[in-house]
Amino acid sequence: MNMILICPSDASGVPALARKCPLVLTPFLGRTVLEYALTALAEGGAKNVRILASDRAEQIRRVVGRGEAWGMTIELVPVSDETDLAPDAASAAGPILTLDHLAQLPQQPLWLSYRGWYGAQQALMPVLARQRVGMREVMPNAFAGLRSQMAPDARMIGPCWIGSDVFIGSRVVIGPGTVIEDGSYVDEGAEVVGSIVGPRTYVGAFTEVRDSFAWGKDLLHLGTGSMTEVNDRLLLGEVREKRNLARSLVNVFRGKRAQEVSVQRGPKLVGLSPAAVGFKPMPGD
Amino acid sequence: MKIQHEAKTLTLNQITELNAVNCGAFRDEARAALKEGITLLDIDLSQTRQVDSSGLGALIALHKTMLARGGAVRILYPNPMVQQIMELTRLHRVFEIVKAN
Repeated sequence: MNMILICPSDASGVPALARKCPLVLTPFLGRTVLEYALTALAEGGAKNVRILASDRAEQIRRVVGRGEAWGMTIELVPVSDETDLAPDAASAAGPILTLDHLAQLPQQPLWLSYRGWYGAQQALMPVLARQRVGMREVMPNAFAGLRSQMAPDARMIGPCWIGSDVFIGSRVVIGPGTVIEDGSYVDEGAEVVGSIVGPRTYVGAFTEVRDSFAWGKDLLHLGTGSMTEVNDRLLLGEVREKRNLARSLVNVFRGKRAQEVSVQRGPKLVGLSPAAVGFKPMPGD
Repeated sequence: MKIQHEAKTLTLNQITELNAVNCGAFRDEARAALKEGITLLDIDLSQTRQVDSSGLGALIALHKTMLARGGAVRILYPNPMVQQIMELTRLHRVFEIVKAN
């Protein structure tokens, strides 16, 4: 079956989301909206998908490749406008889909408002958690991914989602309606409620993230749409790769200590294994 | 920074940034202007475009100074970005914040 998938570029309802990447590549419960859509198409029997993208098509190409991950053939067609169907694309047989919602939630537009985008993630959290490899329900409506670690005195209050390779520090509170994406680090005493923390994001000690989307150093209030760049890595920032040998050795030592603490004091999330010994992303140098 | 003194209130305004570069001078100038009898320190952040943890530290230092004098600090008209930083650091629970209409 042939399909045409149109990536919307109108971000007038959610301009801050489109700052870092095309809308269809914004984080969404461990993956991107585009990846979920392609999975649904593959499950529906699509073999050839033509993606029309008018916003940063190269970034999309890097994510989808030629479709090998979905067992289909994907052709990416950069267009000047999302309504500008190239003649060869328009002539292709098959249905045309606009990626302004997900198949699992057809009544929920994704890009009309920040609340809509956030609400779709809340609605799909239990469904997508059960589909994700390694994701477990560690307490009612609270999900955690592979290799995540949580201090014994941290608290999770569902519904919430903690992705893979996440570190939750001492006395942290992960409150209802929260999503912590893969590779993030929530430092001691922080409180995250009703919010989304994007991939590989450091949330500083004793901070409070509420009704917001924090991704790297960008902080977006989901209610007001106010966006601010936090230029203080003690408060919010990106989790960076380790840069030098000395730092790596320190982190390995700390990682071992973290595992020892988890083993000795008991509570941990899931997936802690010898392979995870070295894991403890640090907020850079 | 502009400093205005009226009755028992000292007002600081025209603060364009509050960060590691200027937080020391900001704190020292404010303390020097705190004459006897001043019980309310209003800090107008309506024109402030950048705040970091050092700047917030200066606000807390002034808060402690005023508490020791039996007074208080109010934050006036923070723009949404500054408001977000205040909330991120939980300082909205420490200071009285007067929002713009």
